[in-house]
Amino acid sequence: MKNFSKCILPLLAVILASCEDVIDVDVQTAPTRLTIEASLDWEKGTAGNEQTIKLGTSTPYFDTNGNTAVSGASVRVTNDTSGREVVFADQNDGTYTTSDFAPVVGQSYTLEVRYNGETYTATEQLTPVTDIKEINQSLEDGFSDEELEVNIIFDDPEDEENYYLFKFQEPDDLLPEFEYGDDEFVNGNEIEWYFEKEEDDGTDEIEAFVPGDTINIEFYGISEAYSNYMAILIDQLEGGGLFETTPVALKGNCINLTNPENYANGYFRLTQVIKTSYTFE
Amino acid sequence: MHQTSISKNQNIKAYIFLLCGFLFFAVGLAKAQGNYTLSGTVKDQSNGETLFGASVFLKGTTVGVITNEYGFYSISAPKGTYTLIVSYMGYLEISKEVVLDTNQKIDFEIEEFSTRLEEVVVTGEETERVNLRKPEMSVSKLNIKTVKQMPVVLGEVDIIKSLQMLPGVTKNGEGSSGFNVRGGAVDQNLVLLDEAIIYNTSHLLGFFSVFNADAIKDIKLYKGGIPARFGGRVSSVLDVRQKDGNNKDFSLTGGIGLISSRIAAEGPILKDKGSFLVAGRGSYIHLFLKAANNKNSVNFYDLNLKTNYNLNENNKFFLSGYFGRDAFDFGNSFDSSYGNMSGNLRWNHIFNDRLFSNVSLILSKYDYDLGFAQQQFEWVSSINNYNVKYDLKYYASDAFKLDFGASAIYYDFDPGQIRPTAETSSVNPRSLDRKKALESGLYLNAEHKLTDKLTAQYGLRYSAFSRLGGQAMTDYENNQPVVYNSTLGIYQRGTAIGETNFEKGKTIKRFGNFEPRVSLAYQLNESSSVKAGYSRAAQYIHLLSNTTSVTPLDVWTPSGQFIEPLLSDQYALGYFRDFADKKYSLEAEVYYKTVDNRIDYIDGSDLIGTNTIETEILIGESRAYGLELLARKNEGKLTGWLSYTLSKSEQRTPGGKAGGLGINNGDWYSTPYDRTHDFSLTGAYQLNEKWSFGTNLVFQTGRPVTYPNGQYEYEGLSIASYSDRNSDRLPAYHRLDISATYKPNRKPNKRWKGEWVFGIYNVYNQKNAASISFGQNVETGANEATRTAIFGIVPSATYNFKF
Repeated sequence: MKNFSKCILPLLAVILASCEDVIDVDVQTAPTRLTIEASLDWEKGTAGNEQTIKLGTSTPYFDTNGNTAVSGASVRVTNDTSGREVVFADQNDGTYTTSDFAPVVGQSYTLEVRYNGETYTATEQLTPVTDIKEINQSLEDGFSDEELEVNIIFDDPEDEENYYLFKFQEPDDLLPEFEYGDDEFVNGNEIEWYFEKEEDDGTDEIEAFVPGDTINIEFYGISEAYSNYMAILIDQLEGGGLFETTPVALKGNCINLTNPENYANGYFRLTQVIKTSYTFE
Repeated sequence: MHQTSISKNQNIKAYIFLLCGFLFFAVGLAKAQGNYTLSGTVKDQSNGETLFGASVFLKGTTVGVITNEYGFYSISAPKGTYTLIVSYMGYLEISKEVVLDTNQKIDFEIEEFSTRLEEVVVTGEETERVNLRKPEMSVSKLNIKTVKQMPVVLGEVDIIKSLQMLPGVTKNGEGSSGFNVRGGAVDQNLVLLDEAIIYNTSHLLGFFSVFNADAIKDIKLYKGGIPARFGGRVSSVLDVRQKDGNNKDFSLTGGIGLISSRIAAEGPILKDKGSFLVAGRGSYIHLFLKAANNKNSVNFYDLNLKTNYNLNENNKFFLSGYFGRDAFDFGNSFDSSYGNMSGNLRWNHIFNDRLFSNVSLILSKYDYDLGFAQQQFEWVSSINNYNVKYDLKYYASDAFKLDFGASAIYYDFDPGQIRPTAETSSVNPRSLDRKKALESGLYLNAEHKLTDKLTAQYGLRYSAFSRLGGQAMTDYENNQPVVYNSTLGIYQRGTAIGETNFEKGKTIKRFGNFEPRVSLAYQLNESSSVKAGYSRAAQYIHLLSNTTSVTPLDVWTPSGQFIEPLLSDQYALGYFRDFADKKYSLEAEVYYKTVDNRIDYIDGSDLIGTNTIETEILIGESRAYGLELLARKNEGKLTGWLSYTLSKSEQRTPGGKAGGLGINNGDWYSTPYDRTHDFSLTGAYQLNEKWSFGTNLVFQTGRPVTYPNGQYEYEGLSIASYSDRNSDRLPAYHRLDISATYKPNRKPNKRWKGEWVFGIYNVYNQKNAASISFGQNVETGANEATRTAIFGIVPSATYNFKF
């Protein structure tokens, strides 16, 4: 359904001589918040013991000072069944690492972050992912039948509700692209998920795939709650557009036990992931 | 919450009793007078169209009346000899001696000024002017001629855009469907085309309106003080009536514009006992696109039909229809179309010279479909309704007139069906639950001249709504479809614990509401009056939309177990004045309006493809208040008006039974259609017989929107955190348009009459933001704000003809 608004607007823009331009806008500035990027992703076929958690702070919206790394926090993850605790070591660059993590599908874990005298915590289960059957390319299957797309084919498990997250990035791309999906309308079926880059006529910034291009693909199984979170996050990446949903506050699962108002941005997710790549012929 | 779900039958009985009482009272009142009655119809001489709003009065008395929608009038006075005057602005006044010693019937045909007079005389239309004596207030009227003179984008005459030049009417930007009245939502407007409900008033996602000006006779917008005969929406009623068709001569009118052309044929049929009108309009944007080798296509058309038949002087039948559709096609991958369809069969019956009646059988439908060729499925959704109405007007005496009637509407909502379009499709077929409901109403309204200076209009409407069975409803843990998760501080979908099946013929939920409507007019002197009004209205169906702008894909849903009907109370006070022998007029009104049970959407709500809308929403309230000023110049070479509105529109959504503080912490926040200042100037200048000019100047406060208030790094992206809902504003909107109309020399006997309309929309090319979106530049990674401006400077030329 989202496609509708995505494509109608550019079309009408052409017809009705509308224009888009980048302008200066005054925005409000909220107080700084801690960001917890605790993405414990277990790549299928690996041990999954090496994990990294990133901590940072929020900045004013148009601020371009990149360095927001938070050091000096204490970070640990506990297996809720066994009580086994893994401490993540501060690398003093905003990252906290371990090689002791023991991933178990379906297991519940709890994250605890202590920073500035406040304790943040989150609980989540590790979600598995189904195997990819095939990856191929086509011209006609995507949105445009003149541009190449890559297709990821997999069987949706029928007995449960499944939520998926895809990450696509070409080696030269500065920013990754995320897409999310669920099996609400396709439960138990073979799913063919396509990814296509649409030529942007106005700028040279986005170019369609050509033979020889390589695309890195990451395919995650995610929880329903995280899917709801990423749905808002992804939909709001170009927030405020004409037919877009009104942007809303985005709250993850990292709560502040000391001062509930001062919740952390970001998410504590536990996923299984398949990482692969495809080169267009 | 004012809603009461009481035993319906008892209330209806009480109501019928009340109605009968009123009637006996009225009849008694009439009999007591022992007067004679004069009744008939007022029509335009040139084409036989009945005239709505013409004034018929007895000179030297206060006895007078305004013709109704069907041109009918009825007045009564004691025996005597009178001079009867029939007047309608823009038309020659008729006066006629009548000896009133028996009840009699006189039909009038009046002649337009311009067709006869050499000298150029421009006057405002009577229908647009203030009627000081009538308690009617909060009404915007536009004559179709005025609408046609106003400069418009791409030369497409647009009733809805013209209405926005009047106080209290705004639109959520150029790319948005519908319009907003006095701070109300788009779905709070009852839009009627020949009494049929139109669910979507826009073509091309809001750039143009569905009303073809060639087929329209008159337009009336009730912003408040909605008469008791209308019900079902809480903010306004837009009553648009199609022409009946010329019953004197066959005629053709049409126009050729930049993006669309239109043609209308009308003429007498059945030995002058009836007439017909067929009007069509079609766009040809798709042809340009094809020529430009663009595989995408976009297109719209509409068709208006009307015919009537005079069986005899007391019985007249009308049949009208509307079909309109938009179609989008994106290469071979995706297509969509949507449109309205309506039909209405009416029977006007005059029981006697005092009792006028009309029965209408109406159906209307709105539907859309989306086709995804590559994914091999289509999605369809529709709303259908069948409506029966019976309206009567009893002209009891000069001082007392009574409207009464009943209506019933059966709704069939189809929120969506997914159908695979090929066997290889990976999509499973699925239908969302169809929802059915019955809405009915009974009303009684009196127009009562209490003294020479004080006139009152008071009435009562009783409306009832039943959400009908034939579907299962989900039950939730603790009866909470939405739950506040206090740990995470977010609203979440409740837990379903089962289903209750409601058999066909059973009622899921029933509502009933009394809706009193009162207004008073007190004439201070010959040229000024004050008016005051109060009205309550109930609305049982809701348009679900969580997007920045209303789109054609938004779905209607009925009230039921979890969604209560909207209930509004509006208070208005106004001062009305004529200056310099009616050359100028001034209207000033203040209003205060509250609406209960307004739907608001939880963060991350997903409205498409869900059966359980109740898990995506919370119920709140809204309020709006404002000051509206309208100054008009009604006569002379230069005519026009200046309109200014100062207003506020806010909403609040507490957590209610879901718990928590609510949306935006339960605080009041601006609705998307809050406009602090809204100023517009509209002018028309008649230079000579050949040339006339028009202009619009608009300035309004920017639309409330939600901007980011910070950013953070997550998963390799810069993620925006957003402020409280609608706590920022787009930049102010302003624009100047001009138009020139050229009528070449006409030989008096030539039937072909042509005119050229040249226009420039947005003369100084202001880039008004339709929206501002925030995101990262894909090359630099820096955050930036991108403005989308829809119409820059747009010149246009249109050729109109009449044959």
